[in-house]
Amino acid sequence: MEGVWVFIGADSVIFAILFLSFMQDRLKNPAVFEASRHTLNMHLGGIDTLILLTSSWSVALAVQAMKRDEIDREPRLLFGGALTGLMFVVSKSFEYFQKFSHGLNPGTNPFFMWYFTLTGIHLLHVIAGTSLLTYLWVRSRRGTYDHLHKSVPESVASYWHLVDLLWVVLFPLLYLMRTA
Amino acid sequence: MAIHAEPPTVTHARGLLPYPTDYKTWKILAWTGPVFLFAVFVLWGFLAGNMPPFPASATPIEVKQHFQEFRPRLLIALSICLTMTAFYMSFSVATARVMERIEGPGGILSKLEMLGGTITCAPVMVTMSIWLTAAHEVNNLSPEIMHMLYWFGWFTFDLAYFVTSFQIAAVSIVFMRDKREKKLVPNAVSWWGWVTFASFFVVSAIPFVTTGPLAFNGVISFWIAFFTWFFWIPALSYYIIKAVPRLQAEDEAAGRLNA
Repeated sequence: MEGVWVFIGADSVIFAILFLSFMQDRLKNPAVFEASRHTLNMHLGGIDTLILLTSSWSVALAVQAMKRDEIDREPRLLFGGALTGLMFVVSKSFEYFQKFSHGLNPGTNPFFMWYFTLTGIHLLHVIAGTSLLTYLWVRSRRGTYDHLHKSVPESVASYWHLVDLLWVVLFPLLYLMRTA
Repeated sequence: MAIHAEPPTVTHARGLLPYPTDYKTWKILAWTGPVFLFAVFVLWGFLAGNMPPFPASATPIEVKQHFQEFRPRLLIALSICLTMTAFYMSFSVATARVMERIEGPGGILSKLEMLGGTITCAPVMVTMSIWLTAAHEVNNLSPEIMHMLYWFGWFTFDLAYFVTSFQIAAVSIVFMRDKREKKLVPNAVSWWGWVTFASFFVVSAIPFVTTGPLAFNGVISFWIAFFTWFFWIPALSYYIIKAVPRLQAEDEAAGRLNA
């Protein structure tokens, strides 16, 4: 389990470096970044935030169920986590499709380079997490996890909360924060 | 009357491997990991002016001027670094031997690590050679050719990353499977290996961009992808160097004195 924290810590540091680099570029081109920010779909970003928060909540409840040996509850809570993860992927794909159909791509300007890079790397995290949650869901249906056998689900849950936290920072950074 | 010869008395048990263990050579090879890191970091990184790299957005004329300005330094740094890259191969052999003690003699992941580390040397050496040629011939070549050689070097250096990814994955899997109470390589290093493994993928974007975080000199493709590896190599080297005397002590305690 301690090894997972190395991964989560390193991932957090890497994202922190990316957020700082984004802010640095933003200071160099405030007008471009501000104009580009307005083209993003704030409502869709808000829905994505709700989806991921719900997903994290569901996974936290699943781990709690394991600790209490409520084996019957685990599969549907893990399924809820995986399904909401998939909903985020669909929502983000729709948003990308919208951007591309309006002629916006990573080459458009520095803002969109950052937008596609940051959200793209985050999306890869979501896809990995959703796959892991699906694996846990399948295993939980066989009654694999209880209060003695929960280190793998706890590790995946910790990672999933990080993915959620990263989006909670990304959403205001890209969609909401005005350039001074 | 048949004479039955007495079977030879077994004075010591045979080791885990079907061949003798030369701990001294093993340890020397383990030390070549830090030597390789020194070569890449100091010679290629600082002396050759690749930390940070000359920008991906540079024009052909700027690239030629850069090579002219840095020519003496590039000739020294790249020629020595090209030779010293072989130390990564010897380090990979030492690491594979430690892995075999967990996985079993001739383990497939140990072999994957050894091949991954050895083949990693090829693109690194070829890149050094390309840039060395560019520095050597800078006054005879057009800016366009210089630009091409510069990019040719970066593509070779960066986009062959998956060979190293295989090595890192093999190392991480095997050391995570170590059943010892105190593992030969701690889980933290193995998990850092997975961070390094993951950080390499984004490098695939370098042919498509010349500015921003994904360019070969950008925050992701250079600073994050290279520095996760730069931290992984010394961390792994430290524990591989420490593993050799630990395994020797284990062998001695178990009566496997086959050196």
